[in-house]
Amino acid sequence: MPRTSKPRFNWLGLGFMAPALIVVALFFLAPVIMTGLFAFTNMSTSTGITGGEYLLTQSNLRALENSGVSDETFETLSTTSYRVDEAGLARLAEQHNQATADEFRTLHGDTVFTARRDMERALKDLNQNRIRSTRDRKAAAELFTSSVLDERFVEETDFRAALANAGINDADHEILVTEAFTGWVWTTENVELLTSLSSSARYAMNTAIYVIFTLAFNVGFGLLLAISTFYLSPRVASSFRTIWFLPRVLPPVLYVLMWYWLTWDTGIISTFAGYFGFAPRNWMLDTATNAWVVIILINGFVGASLGMILFSSAIKAIPSSMLYASEVDGANRWQQVRYIILPQLRWPILFTSSYQTLSLLTSFEYILLATDGGPGGTTEVWALAAYHTALNNYGGNLQYGLGAAYALVLVIIGIITSLLYLRFFNFRELVSKPRIEN
Amino acid sequence: MTANFRSLPVILLLTIVSLPLVIMYAFTIVDTFTNTEPGSLMPNEFTTEHWRFLWSSDVGRGSVWVSTVNTFIFASTTALIVSGISLTAAYALSRLEFPARRFFLAGIIILHAFPTITLIIAIFLILQLLGLFDTLIGVIMVKTALELPFGIWIMKGFYDTVPWEIEMAGVQDGASRFMVWRKLVLPQVQPGLAALLIFSFLSGWSEFILPLVLAPGSDAQVLSTYLAYFLLDDSLEVDFNLFKSVGLFYAVPVILIYLVFQKKLMNIYGGGSKG
Repeated sequence: MPRTSKPRFNWLGLGFMAPALIVVALFFLAPVIMTGLFAFTNMSTSTGITGGEYLLTQSNLRALENSGVSDETFETLSTTSYRVDEAGLARLAEQHNQATADEFRTLHGDTVFTARRDMERALKDLNQNRIRSTRDRKAAAELFTSSVLDERFVEETDFRAALANAGINDADHEILVTEAFTGWVWTTENVELLTSLSSSARYAMNTAIYVIFTLAFNVGFGLLLAISTFYLSPRVASSFRTIWFLPRVLPPVLYVLMWYWLTWDTGIISTFAGYFGFAPRNWMLDTATNAWVVIILINGFVGASLGMILFSSAIKAIPSSMLYASEVDGANRWQQVRYIILPQLRWPILFTSSYQTLSLLTSFEYILLATDGGPGGTTEVWALAAYHTALNNYGGNLQYGLGAAYALVLVIIGIITSLLYLRFFNFRELVSKPRIEN
Repeated sequence: MTANFRSLPVILLLTIVSLPLVIMYAFTIVDTFTNTEPGSLMPNEFTTEHWRFLWSSDVGRGSVWVSTVNTFIFASTTALIVSGISLTAAYALSRLEFPARRFFLAGIIILHAFPTITLIIAIFLILQLLGLFDTLIGVIMVKTALELPFGIWIMKGFYDTVPWEIEMAGVQDGASRFMVWRKLVLPQVQPGLAALLIFSFLSGWSEFILPLVLAPGSDAQVLSTYLAYFLLDDSLEVDFNLFKSVGLFYAVPVILIYLVFQKKLMNIYGGGSKG
């Protein structure tokens, strides 16, 4: 790195960096760290992401059946009791009148009835303000129902107080509080799930298929295009390069739309095959093999252009004297490619492969648009699974925590690989070089 | 140089492998203005009905014009911010001495290689917490941040090619480093800046996943999600001529910009931004 005569400490440098640092920290480093944190929570649509309440329902009780909560507690929780408290009296005053409520307070204030019958009998004790009809008494009894079940508590202390009021054994409070909390909590469940689910292995397998085949296509076609256009006149070469470069420039959505039209049952392949009496079929989605072929082609036709550019500029850098010499020596074209051009492309090929491996591992844009993981999940790659788990699935319950765990795996791979690149490649050399245009 | 070899077989081979692309391009343009009998390949009548989405609002989700304006705001704002921030940060990394410079330099290389799309889940949750979910501002901020390491990297490459002698001369004449940057270095990197602006604009214009996840509502809808709605909604009747017209409408600015600025852009595309 060249320097001015005397390297000086310069605050201008930090000032110039500041805006970039702020933006990168906020929306780049923070997400990296947050992915790590979210991966260890059970966040989902149902827990929300901000906080939670305490709500115990019948289904919570079923979930607790074998967790050591005493039978007594279950009994208390599942039977409704009647408590003559201020809240209930206020409801009574509203339904009937204040006098009734006041009289009832003096008669049975702060009493708890466990059976409905007892509660109704207590209501009969009213003397000055009788509730005459049985139906009204039943309705009045309802006003005093007190249950921890199906009632929302915003604060943990309120919930604990309600448990104590209901006469539930202190030993069971802790587990009930944990179960009743509707917000998210820290957990290592996602990691366990990730390692135990058989679908994880399948996603990993799919990802391997996707990366290996696409990469092979990219490099192979990149080489083919770079070498063959090298042998053509500049005009012809540049038209072919433009044809192959357009997929990289076109918006992905339009590009995939073109493939829809090419492969679907109303598309051109089916129509063309129809001339020969074949029934129309959806070439993109009707079998798993077809889906894979189409996905690899979709990605490959975009990816090949990167190889094309990098390889082309590397070939241009070969001294023309070497090529002339080989021709004078009687080398045919194949020999020229094999012994002169290909050896020069070793580093560009290595660079393109490693660069694209990383971006293919984590990309899912084209698959999402084309097959969306179908048919039947056969083309669901790891990155797409993360997206589906956390951001978009048919079930509707988005599991942010589990999705983040899937993403975390990719983030870690990404960090390690980027560090390796920094170590092994002279990135500066390799990235800023290409100048292919004539 | 290689006149000893015949080029016809090569052209033939290239034509065959390029055929799917050429057919796709050609029919994308032709089909938007014509109708074709089912089961036939050749169009049989001229029509403008496939462009009805431009004036009738019952096609697609929301108005295409609102989406177009949104896309323009999104793409141009990100391009301006990315280029602006890269312009200073890259100069610092390329030419200025400041604490932890090496660390930042390594950081930018790592971030440049890092696959940003893996962060989408965390970003989704962060935007929800910040209340910026489903707003154009939120997507713009995220896109800017994710594009920035690339922008800085490219800009740094352009600064690196500016001869040191220019700056030295400026400093010798008593100008501050800031003045040297503004008056002497900036004019030198102007072509690079233009390329980065155009590239970021195109990148923003084509962006799909970020708007899809972070701004799914119809208010902040951009053209990529407007078009994707036709593809991803299974309940819609498949009308490729209509879809292609929308797609062509969406892609025309991209194609024009690419054709005009092709040479400028090549330097940047080599850096690779898509798999």
